[in-house]
Amino acid sequence: MTNAESTNPESTTPEPATPEPATPEPSGVGRRRFFQGAVGGVAVGALAAGGTAWGIGTRPTVTTATADDHDVVDLTARHPFYDQAHPPGVQTAPQRHAIVMTFDMLKGTTAADLKLLLARWTAAIAQLTQGKPIGQIQPAHPEALGQDTGEAAGLDPASLTITVGLGPGIFDGRFGLQDKRPALLKPLPALPSDSLSPSLTGGDLSLQVCADDPQVCYHAVRNLARMARDTVQTGWTVIGFGRASAGAGQQTPRNLLGFKDGTRNIKEPADFDEHVWLSDADWMTGGTYQVVRKIEMDIEIWDADRVSDQEQVFGRTKLEGAPLTGTKELDTPKFAAKDKAGTPVIDPTAHVALAAHENNGGVKILRRSYNYTDGINAYGQLDAGLLFVAYMNDPAHFIRLQTALGANDLLNEYITHVGSAIFAVPPTPKTGHYIGEQLFA
Amino acid sequence: MQARTTRRIAAAAAGLTAFALTACGSPDKGGSTRTTAASDVAPVADGAAQVKLTLASGASGDECQIDHAKAAAGPVTFTVTNKDATSITEVELVSDQRILGEKENLAPGLGSVTFTVTLGGGTYQIYCPGATTENQPFTVTGQAAASRTGDAATLLASGTKEYGTYAAGVLSDMQTAVANLKTSVDSGNLADAKAKYALARPFYEKVESAVEGFRLPGYKTDDNHGNLDYLLDMRESNLDPAVGWHGFHAVERDLWKNGKITDETRSYAAALVTDTTRLAGLAKTLAYKPEDLANGAAGLLEEVQSNKIKGEEELYSHLDLVDFAANVEGAQQAFAFLKPGLTKIDPALTDQVGKQFDAVNTALLAYRDPKEAGGYKLWTPALRAADAASLSKTVQALQDPLAQIAQKVATAQ
Repeated sequence: MTNAESTNPESTTPEPATPEPATPEPSGVGRRRFFQGAVGGVAVGALAAGGTAWGIGTRPTVTTATADDHDVVDLTARHPFYDQAHPPGVQTAPQRHAIVMTFDMLKGTTAADLKLLLARWTAAIAQLTQGKPIGQIQPAHPEALGQDTGEAAGLDPASLTITVGLGPGIFDGRFGLQDKRPALLKPLPALPSDSLSPSLTGGDLSLQVCADDPQVCYHAVRNLARMARDTVQTGWTVIGFGRASAGAGQQTPRNLLGFKDGTRNIKEPADFDEHVWLSDADWMTGGTYQVVRKIEMDIEIWDADRVSDQEQVFGRTKLEGAPLTGTKELDTPKFAAKDKAGTPVIDPTAHVALAAHENNGGVKILRRSYNYTDGINAYGQLDAGLLFVAYMNDPAHFIRLQTALGANDLLNEYITHVGSAIFAVPPTPKTGHYIGEQLFA
Repeated sequence: MQARTTRRIAAAAAGLTAFALTACGSPDKGGSTRTTAASDVAPVADGAAQVKLTLASGASGDECQIDHAKAAAGPVTFTVTNKDATSITEVELVSDQRILGEKENLAPGLGSVTFTVTLGGGTYQIYCPGATTENQPFTVTGQAAASRTGDAATLLASGTKEYGTYAAGVLSDMQTAVANLKTSVDSGNLADAKAKYALARPFYEKVESAVEGFRLPGYKTDDNHGNLDYLLDMRESNLDPAVGWHGFHAVERDLWKNGKITDETRSYAAALVTDTTRLAGLAKTLAYKPEDLANGAAGLLEEVQSNKIKGEEELYSHLDLVDFAANVEGAQQAFAFLKPGLTKIDPALTDQVGKQFDAVNTALLAYRDPKEAGGYKLWTPALRAADAASLSKTVQALQDPLAQIAQKVATAQ
């Protein structure tokens, strides 16, 4: 829930930031399946559409999506995989669903095992992102196992992207790769308010699998885990069901606290180059660093809080998402503004204030988070929160923001960071090559 | 204990013929037309004909390109390179459904791999699952190959015979052990009966996948009165009210949960002896096929994952790890009898399965406890909560490669 800020928050017509936007299948026009994003997010559509500027105090009661709602999903869309400037699933406009799963290399595995795993994963990812199975679903021989488990047969690619991360453990000496360690990759330090569960922490490898169809997501992560079982053990996983960060051209979605998340997220290509992508970083050039956090929300407690207090916690209005010093979502917060009594309008410990780049030496990170639920917890409460995923070219930027937030954020009363891991995301391979091939050169 | 009561009497069904994977008479449409220089005879270098297989992305899908589709009889070396074909991960050289040589785990960027086979004159198939043309003919000119004495098929056949002897021996031991259990139950000594129960358990668990599915003559297939697996090894979780409690777990329930031996307990123990004798008699008539051993071994590991790990098998006694170890031992035995033949078919898989068996056995070592009846720690809910996930993952790493064996050995006959 870090709120990295955008240099150009007033921009209402951001350029599409993804260099190679997803392309619909040319042959698939006759069976293009569109559905309105409004199904699960009526309020989102109602708010952002139409451009109506609602001021504070004029609580609109609109509850239906308007006709020019442009948050539409095209399940036939697919993303190219090989020969891209940057790894997928980072600058890519966030899809509707996500699964993050971590893996640990089995005892006794070698660099050769890791190399084979990365090559096999790469080939499979190339297949999956084009909406193809990774092998025979119906084997030719009756005694044979299916190479692909089959549950995505007949489904469209749904803009699937799969992002592979390498954890600090890959470079700890077990595989003789110490010399290849990405310069800034090391385990995150303990941060204020951390309440991490060991079973939700760390990992040698990560997969971030995103798609507009949850079954496409699950099929991908399941098959990648399956083919790797002789090399890795599953670590921990979070299944996200709704995006909680917007990409360029997308409406700002909401987290489960009901507030817009990512209004000031990185969207401009120039910001990606400055804050996300690694340059001049040896074999990691073009890649990035990924931080994953599982953040529990105290749903019932939050729901019992009056909205005006919730707005103080965030520093924004609930429905419009405007800073408390403005009237529209994209208004720039005025952190110095005070009311007649001399009290800051936006509390200095409000979430938006602590996360703002203006208050953090210009630091920005890309947030690409998803809402999640694990059902009901041991206390009979709704078990839900935010699968926070962020990308940055220096993990110190995340550390700086989370140090400030963890120490003082008003939101800490309602959230708990229970899972955490960091990974290096290598650059995308060229055709005929695989992710991380430079490690074994 | 069987998870699927419909499981066929696999071992006895001799009629299950191997499906014609790559029958010579039915190549895919398009056959060999895709290969341009395919009519040339492969050049000989280093004492072997040299054939290059290139896996490449083509206009209509991934292709398996052969530079020479003919070779003279003798050693032939296939060099396989995956240039950029993401859908092809393996290549096989096949003759009459037998896999003569293969390479798996192919992926773009990994470099070239080779395999060499000595071929007699005849027509072979190069099988590239996932390619636009999956089967392509490969012709060898010259003398036909000599008979295959000592080859994979022969080794597998003798392995299955030896396995039959092993299974019969296990069931014979089981007869002794359940007779001892009955004697102890009859005497009314609760503590001794518990110890004898623990000693009797492993035998059935070693071979159950190979012998389950037997039905007594005269019963319908859906009547558990005639289902020997039910009669011997039913659990509370699959209790059929029409038939009621029977076998090992009825005795277990009385000894541990009820804590006393009744006349009913004695009748359970007596029936256990009778049913074991029937099973041992029936098992002697079995002829196994290599894939029966492979599927049986995989089935035993399924038992571990579905029942033992969860503590469902030995609900009252918590002796699940005793059964677990017996399942693993039985699976390893079946694998051992296949190993000489399997090594010829797929040495890499053989090696991998062997290593994963070692890993499971190593993991099990941590639970040895000579003070407990059966020799293993009790699989209590507390221990399960702490250790089940990691133990299950270790078994899973064995289960996956093990499940691939059946196809290998079935196609080698």
